[in-house]
Amino acid sequence: MSSEPRAFLAVDTGAATIAASLIGRVAGRWRLIGALSLPAGADPGALAALLVARASAADPGLAAALGIDRTPIVDLPRVEVASHPPRLLAVVAGSERALAPLVAAASRSGWRVVSASAETTDPLEMSTRLLDAGVDAILAGAGDPPAADERRALGELGALVAAAAHRRPELSVILAGGMAGQLHAFGDVSDRLGRVLVGTAAQAGRDPAELCELLVDVALPVDDARRALGAATAALAEVLDRRVDVVEIGFDGGTRVGAWPSGQPGTPGLDLAIVPSAGLAPPDPDDQAVDRIATWTTWTSDRHRLRDRMRELRIAPWADATGEGIGVRLAAARAALSCLVRWTPAWADRPAADLVVASGGVWAVAPASAVALALVDVLRRAGATQFAIDHARLMAPLGAIPDAGERRAMLADLADDLLAPVGTVVMPAGLGHGRNAGALEVHGTYGRHAHELRPGGIERFDLPPGATAIAEFRFRDTVRLGGRGRHFAIDVTGGLGGLLVDLRDVPLRLPDRADLRGELLEAWQAAVVFGRRG
Amino acid sequence: MNAATDIRLVRARPLVVAPVDVRFGLAPGDRPLVAAGESVVVGAPIAERVRDPSLEEVHVPDTLEPQPGGRWSGSIDGRVGMDEGELVFAWRNRWRVAGGTLSDPIESPLAGIVRDVRPGTSITVRAAGRGLRGVVALGGPTRGRLQGSPDSELRAGGLDVNSAGAILVVGSRVDAETLTRARAMGVRGVVVTGLSSKERRDYLASEARQRSALHRLPPFAVLVLDGAVRRPLAGAVMALLGTLSGHEVAIVTDPPMLVFDLPGLVVPTPPVDLVRIRGEAYAGREGRFVEAVGPRRFPGGVHLEACLVRFSDGSTAAVPIGDLERFV
Repeated sequence: MSSEPRAFLAVDTGAATIAASLIGRVAGRWRLIGALSLPAGADPGALAALLVARASAADPGLAAALGIDRTPIVDLPRVEVASHPPRLLAVVAGSERALAPLVAAASRSGWRVVSASAETTDPLEMSTRLLDAGVDAILAGAGDPPAADERRALGELGALVAAAAHRRPELSVILAGGMAGQLHAFGDVSDRLGRVLVGTAAQAGRDPAELCELLVDVALPVDDARRALGAATAALAEVLDRRVDVVEIGFDGGTRVGAWPSGQPGTPGLDLAIVPSAGLAPPDPDDQAVDRIATWTTWTSDRHRLRDRMRELRIAPWADATGEGIGVRLAAARAALSCLVRWTPAWADRPAADLVVASGGVWAVAPASAVALALVDVLRRAGATQFAIDHARLMAPLGAIPDAGERRAMLADLADDLLAPVGTVVMPAGLGHGRNAGALEVHGTYGRHAHELRPGGIERFDLPPGATAIAEFRFRDTVRLGGRGRHFAIDVTGGLGGLLVDLRDVPLRLPDRADLRGELLEAWQAAVVFGRRG
Repeated sequence: MNAATDIRLVRARPLVVAPVDVRFGLAPGDRPLVAAGESVVVGAPIAERVRDPSLEEVHVPDTLEPQPGGRWSGSIDGRVGMDEGELVFAWRNRWRVAGGTLSDPIESPLAGIVRDVRPGTSITVRAAGRGLRGVVALGGPTRGRLQGSPDSELRAGGLDVNSAGAILVVGSRVDAETLTRARAMGVRGVVVTGLSSKERRDYLASEARQRSALHRLPPFAVLVLDGAVRRPLAGAVMALLGTLSGHEVAIVTDPPMLVFDLPGLVVPTPPVDLVRIRGEAYAGREGRFVEAVGPRRFPGGVHLEACLVRFSDGSTAAVPIGDLERFV
C-alpha cells in the first residue's frame, strides 16, 4: 500500500464465493464505490478488473480522482481474507459425561468433530479414529479434578493418545483439564511438528471460553475470514455504541459473533463462535441434516429429492440459485442458523442485540424481506432489533486490518455503506391466544397508521430505508418486549424489508405434520415477502 | 482482454489433473507390504487388510525397542491363528497389539511410486499417469478396460458377460439394481454422470450386505462424475472418455478419480470459450460465452450476475454466471 492510497480492494475469498469491494476516499472519508461477488473458481484478477471497469464507466470523474482509471489492477492495494475449510478434531474423554462439554466446546470453535469416550468405545476403535488420515488434531479432556467415573480410564487413554501422537507427529494435541496430568506420556515434545498444548477443563455448567479460544487458535490461521469477523464486529459495536450480533452462514460453516461496547450492561467484550456444522451445504447430508432442512421447505416432502438437491448444492453452490432454488437455499440457511443457535446456548441468556447483521453468500440470492423472515424464523429473542445485511461481504476484510484504531476509523466511515438495512423486527413474547392481541399505531414522517395485532402471525409494514417512526403497541395482556408491560413506544427504523411485527411464539413451534407446516410457512412467506394479510 | 468479455469470470474446472496422489486407507492391524520410495506395478499387493481386527495384550521385551506402529510376531495364549500384529500402545508394561486371523490383499490398480507409508493410517502412491476427477467414488480401487458410451442408458437387463472385467461408462444416471448386477457379473466398475441419493443408498446397502458375509468382494467401484441429478455428461469429458475407450484405466476412491497411464494420449482440448450450464432450464447444455451482461433479474425475483451464452443453433440466452462452468 502506498503512503496515501486513494482506493483499495477488499477481497473475501470463501469456499463458495469470492467477493471483492472497491473502497475509495471521497470527500475526506472512505466510501464503498462498488462490490461484486462471483462463484469461487472465478479468476480474482478478472473479478477485480470487472469491478474497476464498472466503477470507471459509472463515474469517470470519480475514477480519475481515485486514480483507478490509470492504476493497473495488480497494483491496487488490497486487504484480503480467506475462509479456510474446517479441519477434523478427534475429541476423546474417559466418560460420556466428560465428553459432552468437550464436544460442545470444540463444535463452536472452528472444528468438525468426531468423538469417543473410553466408556463406550474400545481402545482399538478409538485408535482407529485417532489414526484416521482425516483427523488433524486431538482434544483429550477430563474434569479438573477428574471425576470418579473418568479417573480410572485416564491412564490408558493418555497412553493411547500419546501413541497416536507418536505415530502422527504432525497432529496437534490439546490436553484439557485433568488430562494435562498425562503429559508425561508424550515424552519430549519440543521437536514435534504438531504442538502439544494444555488447556482448561470444559465442564457442564461452566463457560469454556478459555478452551474455546485455544481451540480457535489451533483451528484457524489468524487471517481467517471468520476470525476477522470477530474483530470487525467488536469495532462496529464500538463505532455504533450498540450491542451487535453477526450471524454468518457460509458454505462449510457458520459464525456467530456477539459484541458490546463498554458502558453496556455486563462485561464489555466479544464472543465468537465458529460452528462448522452450521454450514449451508453439509458434505454428506445424513437423515438428520435433511430433516432439519425439510422442516423449513415447502418445496418437497421427498427426503431423497431434497438430499439430491443438497448434494448438488455442495458440488456447485451457485448453480440453480433462481426459482425454487431460492427456497431450497433459504431452507438450508434456516437449518444452518438453527445449528448455530443450538451450539451457542449461552446467547439466549444475554440481552437481545440492538443490531443483527447477516453475512454470507446465501443472503445474496433472495429478496430482503425473505431474508428477514428466514432470520426471525430462527433467531427468536423477545425485543426490538434492527436487522441488516453485510451485502458486500466487507466486514471480514475490514476486520483483518491489523491496527485496531485504523480498523475502527475505517468502519466508522463505511458503516452506512457496508450495512444494507433490512428493517426493524419487533418480537414480543408471552402473548395470549385469541383473535386480538391489541393494537399498533405507527407514526412518523410517512404518516400515521393503525393496525390490529393478531397473535400467531407476522406482518410487514412498509417503512423504507432511512425512514424512522415510532411504533406504539397497546397489548391486551402483559408481554415481554425488552421489559414486561402492555404499552410500549418503540423507535423503529426502516429497511428493505420494512417493519416486521412478529407475534408468533418465542421460541417458534411448528406443526409436526408436513402439510400443516407447509401451509403455515407459506402463509408467513405471503405476509412478509408479498405483504398479504391473512 | 476486455473485462466484460472475460471468460475467466466463469468457474474453471480442471479436465485432467496431474500428478495424482492416491491414498489407500489402512486401519490398525493392517500390514503394509511396501515402503516409501518403492515402485509398484499394476496389481501388486501393497498391503494386507485384516477382516476381523481385535486388540490383544502381549509382553514385548524392551530389548526389542518396540514403538507404536511397529510390527510384532509371536503367539498369544488362547488366540489361535493370530501370530503377528501391529503394536498400538503400551499400558502397564504390556503392549496392545492389533491383528486378526483373516486378511485380504489390497492391490494397487495403478503403477506408481510409493510416497508415504503410515501403518494404521494410509499408504500414498504417486500414480504414473493422469486423472479425471469425479465428485465421489463408491466401493474400492479397481481397474479394467474402459467400455461403453456415455450417451447410452444402461439397464440391468442390458448387461452380459462380455462386460466382465470392464469399466463401463453409462449414461446420465444408473440404478442400484444395475450396479449390483454389474458387480455380480464381473464388471470392474461403472462411470456415471449422476447417481441419485436413493440409488446410492440402495447400492451401498447391497454392498454392506455382501461385505458382512466375509467373502472377499471382487474389486468394483462406481465413479460419479457430476452430481446427484440427471444431467448429460459434459462434452469435454465425453470426448476424453471416448479417447480412453478400449484402454485400461483405474478407478480410485481417494481422491475419487479415473486414472489413466497413456503418456502418448493427446487429451482433446475444449475451446476456451466453451461453457456448460449446470442448472435451471438449460441444465446440461453447452454454448459459447459471449460477454458478461451485469446483474439480471431471474425467476424468484433474484438479481444475479449474468452473461450471454450462444448455443450451437445460434440462439442466445442470459444465464447466471453461477450456473456456468468451463473445463481447462
